[in-house]
Amino acid sequence: MTSGTTSDIADLIARTALRDRGAFRDLYSRTSAKLFGVTLRILKDRSEAEEALQEVYVKIWQRADRYVAGGYSPISWLVAVARNHALDVLRARKPVSDDIDAAIDLADGGPDPEQATIQGSERTRIDGCLETLEADKADCVRGAYLDGFSYEELATRHSVPLNTMRTWLRRSLIKLRECLTA
Amino acid sequence: MSTEGHSGGREDDQVLVAEYALGLLEGGERAAVARRIATEAALSADLRLWRNRLSSLDSEFAEVAPPANLLQRIETRLFGAPARTGWWNSLALWRSLTAAAAAVAVLAVGVNLTQPRFDPSTLATQLVAAIQSQEGFGVEFIAVYDQALGQVRITSLKGDAVPDKDYELWYIKGDQPAVSMGVLPVNQKREIPLDAAAKANIAPGTVFAVTLEQKGGSPTGVAQGPIVAVGTATPI
Repeated sequence: MTSGTTSDIADLIARTALRDRGAFRDLYSRTSAKLFGVTLRILKDRSEAEEALQEVYVKIWQRADRYVAGGYSPISWLVAVARNHALDVLRARKPVSDDIDAAIDLADGGPDPEQATIQGSERTRIDGCLETLEADKADCVRGAYLDGFSYEELATRHSVPLNTMRTWLRRSLIKLRECLTA
Repeated sequence: MSTEGHSGGREDDQVLVAEYALGLLEGGERAAVARRIATEAALSADLRLWRNRLSSLDSEFAEVAPPANLLQRIETRLFGAPARTGWWNSLALWRSLTAAAAAVAVLAVGVNLTQPRFDPSTLATQLVAAIQSQEGFGVEFIAVYDQALGQVRITSLKGDAVPDKDYELWYIKGDQPAVSMGVLPVNQKREIPLDAAAKANIAPGTVFAVTLEQKGGSPTGVAQGPIVAVGTATPI
């Protein structure tokens, strides 16, 4: 985020959980451009992305108490809420039910030793690990995460049969996990 | 480590969780994995690992400013359309009170001049609101908003504490729902630091209102008790 420190955002989430509308507005003003970037990139349709962004902030208002400070960067939690919602819209095109609840709960799950590492070095590390994959396979991982591409879309974009894409990506994920946990 | 043809294999599970984290699973398969993650510690730890690592890609989501009215649409969905019946929307009430508030504002300027920090040369906005009692309540406050200090100084002029109740201060901008500024002590002066939203919303014409709420203030963020005093911010 260009505006606001991590602790500011965490504080605003905490105050939003306390039903502080002023804090909610402040949280919106600091984070909506980032989250709109997420819904827009995944949905690739401006009016759908706007609708999704509204739903995302409704969820944030309703579920801010699910965010537990410590371990998980607050902006990452917000991005996860936005991304999960956009994916649900993209895949199902129907109101979200249990999935997003599970995603929110899990996004802020208990502290994990893995999470103690600072974000900056994580960035370097996932880039480094993606580089260990062949370029088009790294593109698939990034496309799935950043654009919400499904296996079908990835297969089409890379001109390979669906099952080939599944095999490729699954092998790549195993390799990626080994690198990330090494 | 690989286990062939069995959905319970450790490596298969790891792939499933990675696929779940990336959003590659759909429908029933996604729901089934979500259920397993919720109950199996190894899987939920794996999901945290993936979310944590993948979130470092979040910086690649470019920031795009949403439409200006989107926050209002969200607030309408969350808090309801500005209720026509709400006391904060009674235009007639505000209009009738504005004239009275302006008259008392003259007095308020006098009060403010006695404050040692008042600097007549300052260009920053200063507003005053005489928050006058509604009939029968006998409560009055004066609020002075100092933009430079980013605070509202509120002084209790009249009124007694009510057992098991607290006075709560609100500001109302235009048609928007009242926003709480906290509970007020009686017979005291209090300085209330403002957040960015309040600073942006408090302007000439903003209405300040005091309601009588349960101890500690309204638990819902919406005024529940009767309005006991009201006033409109006027430039000094």
